[in-house]
Amino acid sequence: MIMDSGMTDKMAVNDHTLSKENVPALTSLDTFRIGIVILMGLVPFIFPSFRVMDVMAKIMIFTLVVASFDLLLGYTGILSFAHGMFFGIGAYSVALILYHTAAPAWYHIIIAILISLVVSIGLSLVISFFSLRVKAIFFAMLTLALAEFAHILGVQWTSLTGGEDGISFTLPWIFNFNHTFGTVWHTQINGRLVVYFLILFSTLFLFAGLVRFTRSPVGRVLQSIRDNEQRAVALGYQTFRYQIYSIVFGSSVASLGGILFAMWLCYVNPDSVFHTAIMVNILLMVLIGGMGTLYGSVIGAAFLIITENWLPQLLKSAAELVPQSHVIQVLADRWQLYFGILFVLVVLFFPKGVLGTIRAHYRQRVIESESIENQLK
Amino acid sequence: MNDSMLTLDDVHTHIGQHHILQGVSLSVNPGGATILLGRNGAGKSTTLKTIMGLYPASKGSIRFKGEKIHREKTHKIARMGMGFVPEDHAVLFNLTVEENFRLSMVEETETTRQNLEDVLELFPALRKFWKTKAGLLSGGQKQMLAIARVFVCDHSLLLIDEPSKGLAPIVVDQLGEALLRIKDKTKVILVEQNFNLACQVGTDCFILDDGQVVFHGMIDELAKDKPMMKAYLGI
Repeated sequence: MIMDSGMTDKMAVNDHTLSKENVPALTSLDTFRIGIVILMGLVPFIFPSFRVMDVMAKIMIFTLVVASFDLLLGYTGILSFAHGMFFGIGAYSVALILYHTAAPAWYHIIIAILISLVVSIGLSLVISFFSLRVKAIFFAMLTLALAEFAHILGVQWTSLTGGEDGISFTLPWIFNFNHTFGTVWHTQINGRLVVYFLILFSTLFLFAGLVRFTRSPVGRVLQSIRDNEQRAVALGYQTFRYQIYSIVFGSSVASLGGILFAMWLCYVNPDSVFHTAIMVNILLMVLIGGMGTLYGSVIGAAFLIITENWLPQLLKSAAELVPQSHVIQVLADRWQLYFGILFVLVVLFFPKGVLGTIRAHYRQRVIESESIENQLK
Repeated sequence: MNDSMLTLDDVHTHIGQHHILQGVSLSVNPGGATILLGRNGAGKSTTLKTIMGLYPASKGSIRFKGEKIHREKTHKIARMGMGFVPEDHAVLFNLTVEENFRLSMVEETETTRQNLEDVLELFPALRKFWKTKAGLLSGGQKQMLAIARVFVCDHSLLLIDEPSKGLAPIVVDQLGEALLRIKDKTKVILVEQNFNLACQVGTDCFILDDGQVVFHGMIDELAKDKPMMKAYLGI
């Protein structure tokens, strides 16, 4: 009998029986990662501007959502366009509950989390059962149709969602933006800062969960499905079940990302969370960072969000240097054009995404150094 | 017939519109290694994949340890004790050697632990590269890992598809030694183009031609039958 999920857990526990070199050591890469996290935590104190905090918060949220999408696309080989929909479900869960509640309290956020998880898990199970058995391209089309349906529902069901105008709401408890708790390092500690740190710690916790998941025995099976599903089946794995684990876990994390996004903006509308453009952005972020790298999601999210937020401003400032040139003014307005060029350059120079290409380059160097060592022997 | 470990009775397999297996019937007894021989395109690999359930048999029946398996899902057939090593270095490149073993391992028992020790003794290079990504191994090492990985499980039947393909002669010799030790513990059905290796490892053999069995006998008898060798193997 080949091991299954239960058995794999036992094996994970018994890891030490096969390798005794599990002493954790802090590598330079770990130090770099910790440094990034500390920097994120210090940003509100170093740059007490809303714009910088806004960009950083969005980078963290999208890192989480992109990493959860990478679990599906990069680790399991499933292309689901419904991933953005789960992000929207999370955002609308918290928005609707807080908007329709007369006196929102902290537990309403917990209720929103539970509802979004139940809806996401239920819906991802339905999607999996009905469409995973079809071929990859049909699965992608089905999920695209479903995501578009969610967008239309958000626009049309005005009595609930506020239609295209969306809904604004206020956060309860310590998260309320009007609450202030004093000043630290000339920075006012208020509800927004609390939400910022909620985003930071939630992203850290959930991202660590994703990393743990991909390195678990189940994660190994997912990678084997991505590399060659027939092999995984021939080893005795019911791949369909593992694909469901991946979709359910990835969708749940995306919906939690949606909750954080809505809490940060205190506003949602169908275009900001359900639109196909959001899904395209998530896909671009995965491609830029590198599929199947998980950490690449940080690079992808940072690249896209920083570019979207600061490239127009940068171009405008550059154009102001030559105010008399109409052509320069017109060219400076077309920031998407330069973003497109940047994206093409990234794809050209990093065909496997930034992190994917760096890792491939590093592996190649290892192979070369080993072959040199063998020749010397 | 009842003692057979595996029986194929008039098995037909279609891949798309192509009728590949056209009534394969064979019976394999426990112990030793049975070799499937034949020219390219004769249906050897398709036979293994049909047994494993990777291609559905369109007609006929397959029994493994007395149970009908031709309608079973591949993962269930694997769990019944059948291991499969495909011809394309079936290792997972992005996982380490250790992770490749773990992926295919049965629940860690005294037997599997012993199997692992045996296999690492048999292929010492794999112990050396224990934490190395499988994609970084040489072609021979990948093939060793592919076989060793399946051998760790307590399978009662191993289907191995052209393990010597693309390997250097010295590696093929090592592979032959490994297969000789493996067949002492586990029944092996081996698809092999290298006739010397087949003779070294195999006891009985089947020759397939145009999706049908055209010869069954002991491999040393076949080696003496020059017309048969010329007609079906081109040797």
